[in-house]
Amino acid sequence: MERPEMEFKSSPGLSVGVELELQILNSRDYDLARDALDLIALLEKTKLPGEVKPEITESMIELNSSIHNSHDTLLAELKTLRNAVTQAAQRLNVRIAGGGSHAFHLWADRRIYPTERFNHLLKLYGYLAKQFTIFGQHVHIGCPDGDTAIYLAHIFSRYVPHFIALSASSPFQQGEDTAYQSSRLNTVSAFPLSGHLPFVQSWREFLEYFDKMRGYGIVESMKDFYWDIRPKPEFGTVEIRVFDTPLTVERAALIAAYVQSLARYILNERPLAPEADVYTLYNYNRFQACRHGLKATLVDAYTQRPVELRAEIIETLKRLAPHAAALGNSEALASLKFEVEADRSDAGWLRQAYQETKSLNDVARLQSDLWMGLSRP
Amino acid sequence: MTSQGFLPQLPLTVNALALFGLLLLVGLIGGEFAKRVLRLPRVVGYVVVGLLLGESGLGLLNARVVAESWIFVEIALGLILFELGRRLHFAWLLNDRWLLATGLLESTLCFGFIYYALTYFGVQPIYAAVAAAIGVSTSPAVVLLVAQELKAEGQVTERALNLTAMNSVIAFVLTTMMISVIHQEYRADFTMALLHPIYLLAGSLVLGYIASGALIMLSRWIGKHAERQLAVMLALIVFTIGTAYMLELSTLIALMAFGVFSRNLDTRHDLMAVDFSMIAQMFYVVLFVMSSAKLHVIDLLTGGLIAVVFVLARFAGKSIAVMGLTYFSGARRGSAGLLCLALTPMSGLALAMVQGTANLYPDFSAKLSATVLSAVLILELIGPIAVQFALKRAGEAKEEK
Repeated sequence: MERPEMEFKSSPGLSVGVELELQILNSRDYDLARDALDLIALLEKTKLPGEVKPEITESMIELNSSIHNSHDTLLAELKTLRNAVTQAAQRLNVRIAGGGSHAFHLWADRRIYPTERFNHLLKLYGYLAKQFTIFGQHVHIGCPDGDTAIYLAHIFSRYVPHFIALSASSPFQQGEDTAYQSSRLNTVSAFPLSGHLPFVQSWREFLEYFDKMRGYGIVESMKDFYWDIRPKPEFGTVEIRVFDTPLTVERAALIAAYVQSLARYILNERPLAPEADVYTLYNYNRFQACRHGLKATLVDAYTQRPVELRAEIIETLKRLAPHAAALGNSEALASLKFEVEADRSDAGWLRQAYQETKSLNDVARLQSDLWMGLSRP
Repeated sequence: MTSQGFLPQLPLTVNALALFGLLLLVGLIGGEFAKRVLRLPRVVGYVVVGLLLGESGLGLLNARVVAESWIFVEIALGLILFELGRRLHFAWLLNDRWLLATGLLESTLCFGFIYYALTYFGVQPIYAAVAAAIGVSTSPAVVLLVAQELKAEGQVTERALNLTAMNSVIAFVLTTMMISVIHQEYRADFTMALLHPIYLLAGSLVLGYIASGALIMLSRWIGKHAERQLAVMLALIVFTIGTAYMLELSTLIALMAFGVFSRNLDTRHDLMAVDFSMIAQMFYVVLFVMSSAKLHVIDLLTGGLIAVVFVLARFAGKSIAVMGLTYFSGARRGSAGLLCLALTPMSGLALAMVQGTANLYPDFSAKLSATVLSAVLILELIGPIAVQFALKRAGEAKEEK
């Protein structure tokens, strides 16, 4: 079968890129607004690094960074993007916020961004398309070849609970406290092609799987898989998609630094072999992390023992130290460690804001102040 | 006494309350008819019902009914001006100064064009100036109602509301200044000419300021409870209207100022964005039915031509400014034309302001009314349709199921 787009394009190993899906709020009651078209049109007039793109509904925009080799340049670029987006938003009298979910918007109010693909998704998925107004961070890690990408994806799968707990920022949905640290992933799980990569061992095996799915008419391209982690052959990357968009670009850069350092550890030391039991336990561990965040207790597929997630992240951060140093990410990982030790998370910040204001409108307002850099955490 | 003495005596005397209720129902039915059958904004239905029942039509809305519903009309206006005032967000005007510039230029050109067009067609300068000042304002009620009815949101809607808020403020101030001119025209004493507008403007602003302070403090005390904050807002709106009357101030300026200050002085975010549309619907029906009941279709015969000149000059003034400056503001390409349409509706609101003064000089009032009210009549019918078209075309109306 001819499939040039499935040729794995080699990219510089361990390079990192970030996508952030963001909320557009009105500045009256801080509900989701629908100004994506105007915002994107306005940003097109400015010269920016990276890219600004539409997402499935008119209340969302996506920022893409360019490719980076370490935390500092990535953060600098994300700040530039943030400032440009903030300035454009202020000219339109709208606000931009991070966070994996909007606290109180009603999904039925959402409008699909008018492109052929998004209208197709609405037709295909019905109400799920509008419910998909949730906001994630994607981190891409560059890989030299497809086999490396498959290996990296399988080992990353073991760390999915880490990724969830470090970014969890969607405690509220549709006006209610969900009791989850990340409720966003429950929405993703509703899609038939969500979940994880099949337990293939090489890029060749993966292509066989892909051809089979395409042969059935289930998928047309990699885009149709809504997996937590997926190889992205046209970029030559492994893309992790489980993160909630953090409340600040600073946190987004810290998370990218964690992933990049972890990737270096995995690829340089090859400490683990892919393990089918990771996927046996996958949904349970993923649920634990979504529900409890850093306080989750998981079952480790390799040792087959329960582990405390927070302690394991701290342990991992220590193990990553030399790799972080080699990449220039030491300071970033030190700040992340400090946050984890203090048990601080974005979900916690949001709940605290609600405790103080007793109003989800105010939570959304404070959340947008924070992302736009108008207040400090 | 017969055994049926408890029964009402025939023929029944219809009391004002029943008549008023009936009026409301007929207005609502007219609105539904406009919406469902003609696919027009409900406002058009209210206006037509008002014309049919009012002085130009069946004459059912007599002085008694008008007196009975007066309070509803006042509250309706209060709600609208307060809500509109809350849309005027200073921070936005500073962040998008071209929007501010659009508002200022649009009002200036609109005033100038109407003034020159009217004087060109032989209207005396003083009438032309007062009429022009009144024409600067876009009808807040129409724009707000049509936007609410369509559940419209987006840049064209928000910008149209903001420009309406700006031109209403400017129109109110201009008209107040005209009062001074009217006094002078009729050789009133100089201090009267000077002090009256100052008293109106400053007094109404202070009243609005005090009301907003009270609202913010009470809301802080109450906390974030929408239904109770709503009750406080309504109470203060009614109280402010009443006080403005007691003090011979302008209810329009006071209520608008109340809204503007509550939006811009609420630095601790104590106020919730309370949605009154559910409660307000009834008031709006009364407002439109009653205000169009007072319009005289017959005026169109006498004042018709000059009213058409007025309408065209007004549209030209607003459109040149909006078309010229919108490109520089943050609005997307293609929205300027829609904004021009959205600013079309006009109301006789500002007329009410000069009327108090003009009533001192009856001859003045009559001459002015014919022109301005004919223009209002035209634009009350065309305006809502233009706004609906603009907001739908902008893709900002909620999808129809």
